[in-house]
Amino acid sequence: MYIIITGCGRIGSDLADRLSGEGNDVVIIDRDSGNFSRLGSGTNCMTVTGMPIDEDILKEAGIEKADALLAVTDDDNTNIMTTQIAQHLYHVPFVIARTADPEKQRALTKMNLKTVCSATLMVESMLSALKKGGTDS
Amino acid sequence: MRIMIIGGGNVGYYLTKSLSADRHRIMIIEEDRSRCEQIASDLGSGHIEVTCGDGTDVACLREAGIFNTDVLVAVTGHDQNNLVACQLARNCFGVKQTISRVKNPKNIRVFEKLGVDSVISSTERIAGIIDRELDWTDVNRLLKDRSCNVRLRKVTVMPGSVYEHRFLKDIGLPGGLILIAVLRGDQAIIPSGSTCLEAGDIAVIWGSEEDINGTFGENREKKEIAE
Repeated sequence: MYIIITGCGRIGSDLADRLSGEGNDVVIIDRDSGNFSRLGSGTNCMTVTGMPIDEDILKEAGIEKADALLAVTDDDNTNIMTTQIAQHLYHVPFVIARTADPEKQRALTKMNLKTVCSATLMVESMLSALKKGGTDS
Repeated sequence: MRIMIIGGGNVGYYLTKSLSADRHRIMIIEEDRSRCEQIASDLGSGHIEVTCGDGTDVACLREAGIFNTDVLVAVTGHDQNNLVACQLARNCFGVKQTISRVKNPKNIRVFEKLGVDSVISSTERIAGIIDRELDWTDVNRLLKDRSCNVRLRKVTVMPGSVYEHRFLKDIGLPGGLILIAVLRGDQAIIPSGSTCLEAGDIAVIWGSEEDINGTFGENREKKEIAE
């Protein structure tokens, strides 16, 4: 698969390491080229420096042929805009946005935008761990 | 009208000032607290409510009174924030009209495709024309509904065009075309014979589609005011 990742922080760099390790073609975009040093030494992926909401940058990253786009910068709105450009203007088959705000996530779900929210995930896994612990004791 | 403005920078500030003078009810959201205090002390009145917060946050929009808002205008300095504010307003709160500023002109197409009603790229122009923009949309819709072929259109005078550096009295517009205003920077000039057109001016023309196309074919701005 040809996969574009936006944001090379802890999440983006880990995703890039793993996905390229599985043999995918991975391109990672970050506005700060210094962040690419987070990538694993064995990771073989293309890097593009620039704002992911800039169509020219997305084109440079090969959005026209991408199979998937994962928007995982630390800015919710940047991720939301990036995924919508990918979905509605370039018809990328699979897109997903990282969000921090659960309420925004609910709103986006209504707009048919696929999102992952760290706070929601954290709460869910805490609750399920608690329930498990509860039945064990 | 109830108008919500997202972003209290220079554009948001002057927009609030001019729209409230027209007795619109303004709700403005700005993130920076000291900026909020300044807006409230400079412009504070019964017509203006200032909320300190993130205009792309659902709870903040609710608190600022987004329900029953007629128009949302997003004018922060970040395109992504303006887009999300417009989309939340429309999709979560049923706001009927959304207007956004974009910094990157390429985002005009993106925003239109993603459902923002009016997209404006020039910081300088927004404060002066936004109120009229609303009315133009209505006027053109009204004319279209009545099967009338007369429209209001904007025409940009391009550098090197035959209209550059010409006085209106020397240009001689064909009958049936009326030049209503010339928008230059943040000014709106009521034209007279001695008005001289310059590159970058936007002429607001009233006339039939054919006459406007025939006269200003090469000069027409691609995006029309409204359909």
